[in-house]
Amino acid sequence: MQPRFLKLLKSRRAVSAVISNMILVAAVIAVGFAMLGWAQSQSSNYTNQYGRAISSDINQLQERIVFEYIRYDNAKNNLTVYLMNSGTIGNVIIATVYVNNTPNSTIVLRLLSSGASISSLNATQEGYFSIIPYPSLASGANYSIKIITGRGSSFVGTFST
Amino acid sequence: MSALFRLRKTGRRLISDSKGFSSIVGAVFAVLVMISLISTVFVWSLSQNTLYNNTVTQTRQADLDRSNEKTVVLNTTYTPYNNSNVNVYAQIQNIGSSSIQFITVWLYMSNSTPWTNYNFSSLVNANVQGGSTFTLNVNLTATGVNSNSTYSISSWLITARGNTVALQRTIVFANNIIVSQTTQGIGALMMDFQNFTCYKVKQSGPSYYLDFSSETTGYTVKKSDAPVAFRVILTDLDTQNRNINLSLHSEFFSIFPSTGGNYKAATWYIVNVDPATGVILTPFNSQILNCSSATSVYFASKSEGSFTTVDSNDMFLGTCPINLALVGTIGTSPFGQNIPFVSIYVS
Repeated sequence: MQPRFLKLLKSRRAVSAVISNMILVAAVIAVGFAMLGWAQSQSSNYTNQYGRAISSDINQLQERIVFEYIRYDNAKNNLTVYLMNSGTIGNVIIATVYVNNTPNSTIVLRLLSSGASISSLNATQEGYFSIIPYPSLASGANYSIKIITGRGSSFVGTFST
Repeated sequence: MSALFRLRKTGRRLISDSKGFSSIVGAVFAVLVMISLISTVFVWSLSQNTLYNNTVTQTRQADLDRSNEKTVVLNTTYTPYNNSNVNVYAQIQNIGSSSIQFITVWLYMSNSTPWTNYNFSSLVNANVQGGSTFTLNVNLTATGVNSNSTYSISSWLITARGNTVALQRTIVFANNIIVSQTTQGIGALMMDFQNFTCYKVKQSGPSYYLDFSSETTGYTVKKSDAPVAFRVILTDLDTQNRNINLSLHSEFFSIFPSTGGNYKAATWYIVNVDPATGVILTPFNSQILNCSSATSVYFASKSEGSFTTVDSNDMFLGTCPINLALVGTIGTSPFGQNIPFVSIYVS
């Protein structure tokens, strides 16, 4: 074995080929790991986005708002909407209310039971809000009201003045 | 054996000649990367889709449960008491298979003033099993309710699933006589028998007016007071919420008993009256009876459409039955109803 090892040390004709092979293999492995990492990060981003979209869709699906009573005070031009979250998800925010196709985004939501101001409706919770429609509504007419929630769900109710 | 030999030979050649080895390593890496990523994303996507499908199924089930809530409302009564309070009583039978939880009861009141008010009350432990009957008996504050007016009252319940269960609409009279809305069989119009009045008709210049200060009960009339006019309070209880428009042919028709085959009759045709001054407005314009509102309707004219007094010569003595022969339209459909059960005595 010793003379053969010495012979290998003395003869360097194949060393360059071995080293180049090792370098190539190392480079391929490095690039492979880099690609693996990059691909994983890309797929992670994708799954995050997709997960958020699915979660948002699921939350939106679970939202249900029912109109308990809609009252318009002709004398005061005041519309009070009583509603309930009959869905299975809480934290329902009333983002925009359309009356007669006019949007209103300054909604002060209150609890039906106490009148306390709340930011959102939890499941089975009842609340109300009042808005001043502009232009004022005609007496004896039928109108529709559309509520857009923070998650983007839309609920439509009708009422008579 | 030859296959094994060939494999060994290939392995030896691969070891002795390492050219292209990196390609194999790269390919293995690529395959590993692809397999790991695809399988991870695929399995994860499946789990997300399962989650979404589960939610869709649950939501559909909730919608189905909501649409399957079925109730029958029986024996609705509203009883105003101690001014500004109303007792709501009703029996609600759950004819569906799933249980129902009532969470809120709403009350809406109006009269012909027009005055409206509403209130609500939360219900506790109002769960009704399928097939069972729930008895609602709540007291609600309705500021402004008094015992001197007639109200149209409606009420509805909200279920936890978000359904609305309407109770029967009812007219409550001043003396708390409660009449349920059972007009399908006898016609849409209902008369307030407690407030049937008679007025003297007087002349002021070219126009005639009802002397409101001469108001007496309509059941006993003095012939010497003629010309007179009658006021009845009618309420439209149409189940389809249509307004009624009474035409000029509507009349207050009396038949006096007679002998010899000839009947003696007196007729008062419908007129428009200014509710503030009592002035009879001519020519007659249609009389609108808004649904669920008690409306005063006046009969004073001998001729239809215009105004002519019904003088004492046109009246007879004694007891006579009265027919309110009312014609016009209900919504856009023709309408006609005769309200009997009223008699007057002319002395």
